[in-house]
Amino acid sequence: MRNSVANEIKKIAKQDKSLFVISGDAGLGVWDDFNTSEQFINPGVNEQLDVGFAAGMALMGHKVIYYNIAPFVIMRPYEFVRNDICYQELPVILVGTGSGITYAPAGMTHYVVEDITLASTMPNLDIFSPADPVEAVACFNYAYASKKPSYIRIAKNGEDVIHKEEIDITKPIFIHRSSSKHILLLHGSIVDEVSKILEIVDLNIVSVPMLTSDFDWEEFLSAFDKAFTLEEHFINGGFGTILKDKCDKKIHKFGLKNEYIHKIGNRDYLRKYYGIDGKIIGQKIEEITKG
Amino acid sequence: MKETATNIRRNILHIANLALSPHIGSALSCSDILSVLYFKILQLDDYENRDIFILSKAHSAMALYATLHERGLLSKEDMEGYYQNGGTLPAHTDRLTNPYIEISAGSLGHGLPIATGMAHALKLKKSKREVYVLMGDGESQEGSVWEAAMLAPKLELDNLTVFIDRNDLQGYGRASELLSYEPIDKKFEAFNWEVLRVDGHNHQAIKNAVDFKTDKPKMIICDTIKGKGVSFMEDELIWHYFIVTDDVKERAVRELEESSDEK
Repeated sequence: MRNSVANEIKKIAKQDKSLFVISGDAGLGVWDDFNTSEQFINPGVNEQLDVGFAAGMALMGHKVIYYNIAPFVIMRPYEFVRNDICYQELPVILVGTGSGITYAPAGMTHYVVEDITLASTMPNLDIFSPADPVEAVACFNYAYASKKPSYIRIAKNGEDVIHKEEIDITKPIFIHRSSSKHILLLHGSIVDEVSKILEIVDLNIVSVPMLTSDFDWEEFLSAFDKAFTLEEHFINGGFGTILKDKCDKKIHKFGLKNEYIHKIGNRDYLRKYYGIDGKIIGQKIEEITKG
Repeated sequence: MKETATNIRRNILHIANLALSPHIGSALSCSDILSVLYFKILQLDDYENRDIFILSKAHSAMALYATLHERGLLSKEDMEGYYQNGGTLPAHTDRLTNPYIEISAGSLGHGLPIATGMAHALKLKKSKREVYVLMGDGESQEGSVWEAAMLAPKLELDNLTVFIDRNDLQGYGRASELLSYEPIDKKFEAFNWEVLRVDGHNHQAIKNAVDFKTDKPKMIICDTIKGKGVSFMEDELIWHYFIVTDDVKERAVRELEESSDEK
């Protein structure tokens, strides 16, 4: 996803000279063919400045992208994002890499399991968690065309392409259709657990890349009996919580328990440890739907 | 010019009294700097190509509102809606309230990073527009100020001028005692800024400092007196908070007018 988004940015930058990229000293190998452009700056390690600088350039008419590891995009400079970008209604695109526990081996400082909670406190910030490179590019293009501030949280690079057809990221995108009365809604890169889930239980599965669209969830979910959400984020305050607030439907939420992670391991190890890998989720859904 | 500054101070006292809001000392402290900027420096006639002024120490917003009104860019009605229920202008700035209020501010340490981005954008466009920022001295304790201070010279932002309203009184005491920023001139010089130091109530000195040519970003340290112009407010910490009652306003305006008559 990371390289797909970066390549899209570089492609658009050739036509749109107002587009400007700020890297918070991140992106080695990503921006190497772009980092001498007048449309790029790496101001160093200073996240408050990065965001304030982005706001200043946006106030002068630039479409600005601030790229960094997710904790340094939304958490460290939170008040700058709130005051300078969101309150001032500036069309800055925040791109955070290493969503969820992608960078789990790097430890607490480098993974981000509470960013949706934080981002969702800002009323005009569009939030995206794409699941594959196709969704990632579509999310970026939506944000680029928008006049609102946006936050795109992407995992890493090298994810499988899920979608072969054109997609609309403002709506749930079916990954698997079933005759089952139940549905599982996924937000972000946890979509790569789908095949393991389907080995255990058959149900409809959708990816929901955009958290903040005006989609009518009440009507959509009324067509299903049980609805489940799965995300690589704290279970309280993330996608499932926000979806519950958007409709009256009972939602069964799966996600990371809201507690600090001291366990050491990579993403797949921690998904298993915290019970959000496909096999465990499949078993849990199977139990609930049988009952 | 002195009459202009007196009028601005009178406007400040007027709206502070209507609102019964704090920060009168901070607003009076920077009134001369704003007078010079808005009446001698800023190009504001061609809006699309206007110079930019950012009030980073936005708790002095009354001074900006009073100056914009004096300059004919803010109506009396809007100025008097400051800090009122259902009013027009907040205690700290909101850029959506007036086209000449460039940023929403109030949390210290935001103005310089934003101004750095603006100045860089203007340099890329080869624009002749200038960017000016007014910071408080206590504000220089914010880390984000130094982040931007490192970057601006690297980007050769000779279109960026920063004023520090150096009145040496912050929220809870003297900045020089709480966490001293001094020697602030040497610190900014070490960061490769052009640094000038002036009497922040001397209009000609401020103007001369702005006119000084340099190819570096410029820092003008303005030595000022908090509460300047009203003797019983001058250099008194408590006027960071005290409100301007009818009695206080009457005494303060009388002083301003007497002082003006003497000149």
